Amino acid sequence: MNTALVALNRLFAWKIRGIRWVEIIGVLLVAAMVFSVYVAKAAAARESARISDLERQISDNGQRVRLLRAEVARLEQPNRLEALSRGAGLGPVDVHRQATAENLPSLAPIPEPRPVVIAPTPAATVETPAVEVER
Amino acid sequence: MSAHDPHVGSRPVPSWGVRRFTPSWRWLTEAMWWVEHAFGRAHANARPEEDTRVRIFVILSAFSFVFVCLTVGAIHAALLTAGAGGGVRPHPNAVVRADMVDRNGALLATNIVHYGLYIDPAQVWDRRAAAAQIRRALPRVSRTRLQNALYGDRRLLVVNRLTPREKVAVHNLALGGVSFEPEDVRVHPLGESARHVVGSVDTGGVGLSAAERAFNDEIRAAGARGESFQISIDLRVQGVLENELAAAAEATQAKGAVGIITDVQTGEVLGMASWPASNSRNLATAATYEMGSVFKTFTVAAAIDTGRADMNTLLDASEALQIGSRRITDFHAQNKVMTLEEVYLHSSNIGTSRLSTEMGPRVMRDYFERFGMLSRAPFEIPSESPIVPGEWSDSTLASLSFGYGISITPMQMAAAMGALTNGGRFIPLTLRKGGRPDVRGRQIVSPETSLTMLDLMRRNVVRGSGGRAEAPGLRVGGKTGSANKSVNGRYSTAHAVGTFAAVFPADGPVNARRYQILVLIDEPQTYPRTGGFVAAPAVGRIADRIAGFVGVARRADPYRTALGDRIPAFEDLEGDGR
Repeated sequence: MNTALVALNRLFAWKIRGIRWVEIIGVLLVAAMVFSVYVAKAAAARESARISDLERQISDNGQRVRLLRAEVARLEQPNRLEALSRGAGLGPVDVHRQATAENLPSLAPIPEPRPVVIAPTPAATVETPAVEVER
Repeated sequence: MSAHDPHVGSRPVPSWGVRRFTPSWRWLTEAMWWVEHAFGRAHANARPEEDTRVRIFVILSAFSFVFVCLTVGAIHAALLTAGAGGGVRPHPNAVVRADMVDRNGALLATNIVHYGLYIDPAQVWDRRAAAAQIRRALPRVSRTRLQNALYGDRRLLVVNRLTPREKVAVHNLALGGVSFEPEDVRVHPLGESARHVVGSVDTGGVGLSAAERAFNDEIRAAGARGESFQISIDLRVQGVLENELAAAAEATQAKGAVGIITDVQTGEVLGMASWPASNSRNLATAATYEMGSVFKTFTVAAAIDTGRADMNTLLDASEALQIGSRRITDFHAQNKVMTLEEVYLHSSNIGTSRLSTEMGPRVMRDYFERFGMLSRAPFEIPSESPIVPGEWSDSTLASLSFGYGISITPMQMAAAMGALTNGGRFIPLTLRKGGRPDVRGRQIVSPETSLTMLDLMRRNVVRGSGGRAEAPGLRVGGKTGSANKSVNGRYSTAHAVGTFAAVFPADGPVNARRYQILVLIDEPQTYPRTGGFVAAPAVGRIADRIAGFVGVARRADPYRTALGDRIPAFEDLEGDGR
């Protein structure tokens, strides 16, 4: 136990050019830490600047969207649309001309499928020269 | 014993300190004195190195403790605190006031950055040229303000609320001394459309009227979150209402007009219009009217609900009703004994007067109270108080039964009609989408009464005074109201109010989706001036146009086909007791 303590003491007292090695390592560690903190802070500042920039862009775009939406709302206001459509000769659709999807078949019945006529053999003979002409 | 005696606890404190300090101060000075002389004492004890080590250890411990605390604090702040990295940032799209949108997200009001134009005369080179150019780019700028700013001695505001386009126009002049400062401005892109619903905001961003005022705090909170604020209005419905109301008012050369469309099951207001829109006064909430025969609906409902009458009850309207010196007659006198249905369909004053006087003041007052006729309408936009009768004599009861002697706001009428047609629950009207969560409906009449009244109102459109409100396949039911206005204390036949209070679809169960439409035309100048002629046609057109928006399909009912054709087989005059 005592020898171990003595060895530890000697290790602690080991000096390089008059400076304890423990102190050298300590200084190196501190330097490494200072550097890493600097790097981390610089990276954080860069990210933060990027975030601010993106947020500013979002805000600017938000403003533009808001402006455009207001313009759309102004152009689509019901009074204006109605005046325009009345001017264009449009009006509410008469009830007799309205229909839902369900009663479409009753309005225009689906045509009966025509019976499939099996092509007579002469048709095939006509087709063969046509193909040859294309060649 | 010498001055270096190791057993001496402390040196004597200088005498001036003792005399001047209180005992607690004395203790402190003594303690400091003791610490100061510790080194000396240690030397005196012949253990100087021990003393130094103790000091170093104590200082080391103190510093270590402080640094450990700092480390723990730093780790906690960096890793465990919510919103780490710069605290809570505001939402990038945060605005002072949220966009106000309708129930489908269509924009009603928004905040847009405008600019104030400032001029610093010290930096302007050629003032005359600058004035000319600015006036060309911005014709609305006041000449005197521009001159004041250009020839003043400090930076001055020339004009504010420049739109982004105007700002660009001025900016492109590249004049020295001209600068802009952004300002948030509330914009209502719809102009006069829906203005009575949306309201206005002051320059500080505080709501002044209507929904802007009613929901001020919620709109600001939503704005901070970058969200929109929805209200119950449906802009398409509102647009139809405004256009049809304006058309009806112009066609009848009226002084004013009001239209309200509500969802009777939730109390949501889908559209509310006051004509002329240029008038800042919202007639739906700020004006009261004697509405005439529409009130017969409530008189008849009270009679049915109390069990005093049913569809087959006979009422004698063969001759005028005499109450004291007052003689009550019918506008369309039938001079016969009528059933309750006939009384309603022919809008018989005599019949409803008989009903109301039979029910008496207590019952009538109770029912009017239940329908919200006697108190201000509970609504987000503050409304006018009704003018109610002071005494409830038989003559007053007769007047009330057909809508005279009581002036109510159109909002009250809309709420009461909603209550009567949704199964009998009085639900306060609201501009809040989805209805007011804090209010539960109050049962005021039985669901059976509600169904009976729906049927009666439908019959009134099919065969009674409301025929012009019919919209093919939409099962519109309603009641007309026509009243003369009191001018200088006398009822003038030249000043009338025509009303039509409708509901559609009138068939189906009590809890079916159903919409109430109220149209009131104030002082129409065309003849006839009754509600059936001035207001009912507008209601029919409105129902026809909004049915698709609110999702009411065209269907046949016992009276009409889906395309609005008569069903001649229907001769059920006696009915099934309703």
